[in-house]
Amino acid sequence: MPVVTIASPKGGAGKSTAAVILGTELAHAGAAVTMIDCDPNRSLTLWSDQGDIPPRIQVLSDVGESDLIKTVKQHDQDGSIVIIDLEGVASRLVSRAISQADLVITPMRGTTLDATIGVRALQLVAEEEEALDRSIPHAVVFTMTRNIRSKQHNGIEASLREQGVDIIDPSLIERAAFAALFEFGGDLRTIPPQGNMETAQANAQGFAEAVYARLRGEAGESAA
Amino acid sequence: MSERKAFSIDVGGLKSRPKQSDARTIAKTDKAGEKHGFIDREPKAKRGRKPSPRTGQVHAKVLPQVQAQIAAEARRRGTQQGVIIEDAWELYCEQHGITDED
Repeated sequence: MPVVTIASPKGGAGKSTAAVILGTELAHAGAAVTMIDCDPNRSLTLWSDQGDIPPRIQVLSDVGESDLIKTVKQHDQDGSIVIIDLEGVASRLVSRAISQADLVITPMRGTTLDATIGVRALQLVAEEEEALDRSIPHAVVFTMTRNIRSKQHNGIEASLREQGVDIIDPSLIERAAFAALFEFGGDLRTIPPQGNMETAQANAQGFAEAVYARLRGEAGESAA
Repeated sequence: MSERKAFSIDVGGLKSRPKQSDARTIAKTDKAGEKHGFIDREPKAKRGRKPSPRTGQVHAKVLPQVQAQIAAEARRRGTQQGVIIEDAWELYCEQHGITDED
């Protein structure tokens, strides 16, 4: 089963939020999901401790550099989609997690700082593709976006597209419901209402469907 | 508002490739990472012995042969001399009915 690595050396880019949204939406759609928490800040573990873990999801905590590959190998074969959440830092653990991925997702806010640092993850993917002599599908998802996008965001997105980077559509919009997942645990169907839950669920589902299409090889082949 | 289309997953359609995990692949991966500053950042275990919880001190002068015997017994057991004194104190307390509350 496929392994999705959520990677960016930039902290606060929305990696753990993207991981929880993706994991809970895929599980809601019927998939078994194993979420591997490799972040020393234990964001996924904090989420899983806040409430009942939704059906079909298991969370593995405190997985480090020495046991990541063994853990992925074990769960890659047990029929579940594996999602790896990493710390926002340029570490060897990140490069190893990328080597095991069927899809690398780099969350990025639409700011120059996020783009400048986030692009390092894309450069690392390219380097590993060359070193390992195989293609590693990868995509960027913009996070914490607003309905009216800034010029900066539009410019960054256009620049990435020009370079052949696969951009996941829809982006993850800044929503109270997404932040509340870490307050209440569970998923977007079990937390107390936070703003417009229907649009939050539609946004999350749209994101998960776009990732699912890439895991089926139906979308998102980058031109690079 | 229009009804959202149900999203369901057919796991049979998911693509996964065999992952290489041999030492050579890991070494290549690590080298590729290092070129871009993705280096080992695992916390390192502290070197040296752990601090002893025995921070109390007694000020005792004993007869030379008693000192030699305590030292020999501690060496034989592979402990600090303080442990021998603690054991002796425990026996003393038992014999004299001294408890922690006393």
